[in-house]
Amino acid sequence: MTDARKQQGEKLTEAEAIERAKQGDAAAFKVLYDLHKRRVYSLCLRMTQNTASAEDLTQEAFLQLFRKIGTFRGESAFSTWLHRMSVNVVLMQLRKKNLPIVPIDDTLEGDEEGTIKKEPGAPDERLTGAIDRLRLQNAVDELPPGYRTIFVLHDVEGYEHNEIAEMVGCSIGNSKSQLHKARLKLRELLRVDRAEKARK
Amino acid sequence: MTCLEFERDLPECVEGKPSPEQQAHLNSCPTCSGLLLDLNSIASQAKMLSAAEEPSAAVWNALEERLRSEGLIRSQPVYLPAEVKPSFMQRWRAAWLVPVAAALVAVAVVKLYHPANIGDNSPVAKQAQPAAPAAVVKNASAKRKPALSHEDQQWLDTVAARPPAQLAKFRTDLDQANAFIEDAQQSLQQDPNDVYMQQMLMNAYEQKQMLYELVVDDSSH
Repeated sequence: MTDARKQQGEKLTEAEAIERAKQGDAAAFKVLYDLHKRRVYSLCLRMTQNTASAEDLTQEAFLQLFRKIGTFRGESAFSTWLHRMSVNVVLMQLRKKNLPIVPIDDTLEGDEEGTIKKEPGAPDERLTGAIDRLRLQNAVDELPPGYRTIFVLHDVEGYEHNEIAEMVGCSIGNSKSQLHKARLKLRELLRVDRAEKARK
Repeated sequence: MTCLEFERDLPECVEGKPSPEQQAHLNSCPTCSGLLLDLNSIASQAKMLSAAEEPSAAVWNALEERLRSEGLIRSQPVYLPAEVKPSFMQRWRAAWLVPVAAALVAVAVVKLYHPANIGDNSPVAKQAQPAAPAAVVKNASAKRKPALSHEDQQWLDTVAARPPAQLAKFRTDLDQANAFIEDAQQSLQQDPNDVYMQQMLMNAYEQKQMLYELVVDDSSH
């Protein structure tokens, strides 16, 4: 970036900010922080359900990343690097507190009764088109910790099952079954929530 | 296919495409069809939860303080082109390239004209050897002699039979190589994030490897 552009107040690009941050430029660190703070914080908040913990973990994730910024070569996306570090920071924190990350291998094969219960004449309470962010957020917060971790990592953050299995220390099959159970549970929570609102 | 059978295959169905048998069941069962639609909707809507929240300003304030205390944020950042760090580069180039180039030239000339007489007193060999390095090179790191590793000692043992002048030259080059490696390592201990020093250290190891290879290559002929 030339000085002329800087004088015009144009923002740094991420690549420019990274290079300047390597030189110790405070403004460059701020640019990188502002670019990624929401995603990191949201991840931490989803997985810990505590704003104070989420803020501490956000700070820790960025600190660990910035300590290593001198070795960043730009071969992979900076956001990918940061994001993986954030997940590791959160998972480490959960392990330190002995909070459950994922239940022991538990597959659907043992659940013979099933979820679908056909009641003659019962209305079909589908959710399609009725999900808003706040309701979904509240429902995710009510999930058991193990379900919530897998759901957040897969459906919210976009990790694949093999990546999740490696990060949390479970099998791919376990990751898939927990995700499915999480979605079923969310459906149940959202249907209850909608029914309660309809009664009011 | 029953609803129970369909539900057992449901995870794969949500994340992929229904099989013909599953699709046939979906076409005839509004309950299962509704369930699948709901699960797909939940999965797709989940992405809107990403980056939905923002931390308070206190997070950045605390982070900035930590970065300053660890020296990652500097009051006067130094913006240098990647290839330039004048004092180090001048010293390293002057000290490295001259003796290494001299060694390469000397070996090349000896091989070309007198392959069996390594470091002899023939006019050709003498003529091909460049003048002694400049004073700045001598002053650079030759005064300091870092400890020799086991590999270094083995390397020196392989050239022990060479003429004293050549042996002394090899030893000087080796001492300089080790001194530069030591310099870079010490710099990196103070600032592990110094990319320039990381590159310098890599270069120093590569140059040392070149010295080894020169001897090995020479010994094989």
